[in-house]
Amino acid sequence: MNTWLLLLPLLIPFAGVPLTLALRKRRRIQSALALGLMLAALGFTLSLLRAVLTTDQPVSVQMGSWQAPFGITLTADPLGVFMALMSQVVLAAGIIYSLGSTEKAVQYPTYYPLFLALTTGLSGAFLTGDLFNLFVFAEIIVISGAVLTAIADDTYGVEAAYKYFYISTLASVFFLLGIGSLYVSYGTLNLADLAARIASSPSAPLTMAGMAFLTATFLIKSAAFPFHFWQPDFHAAAPTPVSAMLSSLVVKVGVYGFFRMTTLLFAEQADLLKTLLVVVGVAGVLYGGFGAAGTQNVKRMLAYSTLAQIGFILVGIGWGTPLSLAAALVFTFNHALIKAAMLMLAGAMASRAPVKSAAFDVVVGVGKSHPFAGVLFLLGGMALAGVPPLNGFISKLMIFWSGVEAAQYISLLIIGVASIVTLTYVIRSFIRIWFEPNPKAKEKAGDRLLAPALLVILSLLLGVWAEPLVSLSRWVAAWLGDPAFYITAILR
Amino acid sequence: MNLLTSLAIGTLFAAGIYQILLRNVIRAAIGLVLLSNAVNLFLFSVGAYNGQFAAYATAAGQISDPLPQALVLTAIVISMGGFAFVLSLLYVIATRYKTSDSDEVKGLKN
Repeated sequence: MNTWLLLLPLLIPFAGVPLTLALRKRRRIQSALALGLMLAALGFTLSLLRAVLTTDQPVSVQMGSWQAPFGITLTADPLGVFMALMSQVVLAAGIIYSLGSTEKAVQYPTYYPLFLALTTGLSGAFLTGDLFNLFVFAEIIVISGAVLTAIADDTYGVEAAYKYFYISTLASVFFLLGIGSLYVSYGTLNLADLAARIASSPSAPLTMAGMAFLTATFLIKSAAFPFHFWQPDFHAAAPTPVSAMLSSLVVKVGVYGFFRMTTLLFAEQADLLKTLLVVVGVAGVLYGGFGAAGTQNVKRMLAYSTLAQIGFILVGIGWGTPLSLAAALVFTFNHALIKAAMLMLAGAMASRAPVKSAAFDVVVGVGKSHPFAGVLFLLGGMALAGVPPLNGFISKLMIFWSGVEAAQYISLLIIGVASIVTLTYVIRSFIRIWFEPNPKAKEKAGDRLLAPALLVILSLLLGVWAEPLVSLSRWVAAWLGDPAFYITAILR
Repeated sequence: MNLLTSLAIGTLFAAGIYQILLRNVIRAAIGLVLLSNAVNLFLFSVGAYNGQFAAYATAAGQISDPLPQALVLTAIVISMGGFAFVLSLLYVIATRYKTSDSDEVKGLKN
């Protein structure tokens, strides 16, 4: 029973790829099927989470019944299932947005198959227990994400896709180098087995090299500060529903990698890595905040803001206390909801602008006739800045609280100051779109607002009633506290 | 033989990095191919350290580890698909921008 619960969130979207491809001539059935499959996968992920919660043990499947270190293991441990649930929720919202989108890219015959491939890649990356398998799923994400961007209405979509694909292929070169270095030292790629062997003989010649390669990979994947240069271009040029997924979920694969590296693979020798993460994170918070304040395009502004928010998460991982890990998890989940909602709202406004663009000069004043979208954007912006009673406040409160507890006052001070910048750029964009007059703006049908509305309502709910998410995160953080839990659960 | 293999892989890797740093986008794509092939060779040599023994094998006479070979196969397929995609993107870029200089492909900056 539990075996199928683990396989279905992966198999359903994967089976959906050829199915929706076969239905490419019948758009309405294709999109309805994609939504149905997505919701089914979300439902199974929810019951998978319940199964893991009730037994307090990860669900794992050995592919082809080969025993743990030899076969390929799929594992739903608390961290994996938490991340998978986050991605399924946001991906479902992404498909709902695509259904009501006026963009031409959404009409593209392979749009929904690619979207489901992206879903497969994300669920697979979070639910796998094997390093090489993680590489394969990461490649699926990269390829489907790049193709989805290349078909954008934006004429620069191809350029952005090329940039992203090129840099991601470089990242996967480093990923393979890391995999090879670890394999030659320890002769295994199963995460649990690898962690056990690294702990028992930590000074193999290529251990640190493998760690460095994996760090480089995940820094590129999470678009953290010095490796972010492709990210604003890429996220701003992608079709709206796709850019919402890229900016909220795809960067989280890198974050997930750091969770695994610091708490499982290199739990013993992670101090150097953790220091690096704090430095990179603080720099990202500063650079992303000021970068966002200086942009002339709403989507670009939100992409820079992702850079800052990833910074907060990396700082949380870097501090490495149970509380700061829980804070990083809450932040990860909330950021996914908020950023997806905000990008969708920005895209919806851009679709109503005289010329389809998210540049401030074009969307200025477009919101005047759409007060409902304005309310949503203001709520989402407040969540992004961390104003109560929204979920962003809970994330930031937890990060600051854990920083005080860990006595990391210098980095705390810097990110505290930089997070005020968030408020300024959110308010500025709100005023420009909803309050400044624009004679050229006229009534025009655009993308539907259901999906961002759902996400904003969820954000509001998780802000007012934060207890379930917080206790879930503390449960995951407690699980991450000792790598022995994971190792014994998988190897038995 | 070991030295020769590692020198060859290192040279290939260096050549790939050099090509990537050039401004010509087509050369950069070729650099990407060189890099991924260098990595595939590295992964391949992980399995048979001495030409005959698996890297971590302690017993004499043990045969090469087949797992890296399977990994390399997967990696080759992925990089082939990826390179086909890069070439098709390059085609669009070349026809749209009429240049191969990466500094002139900067529509996103404006």
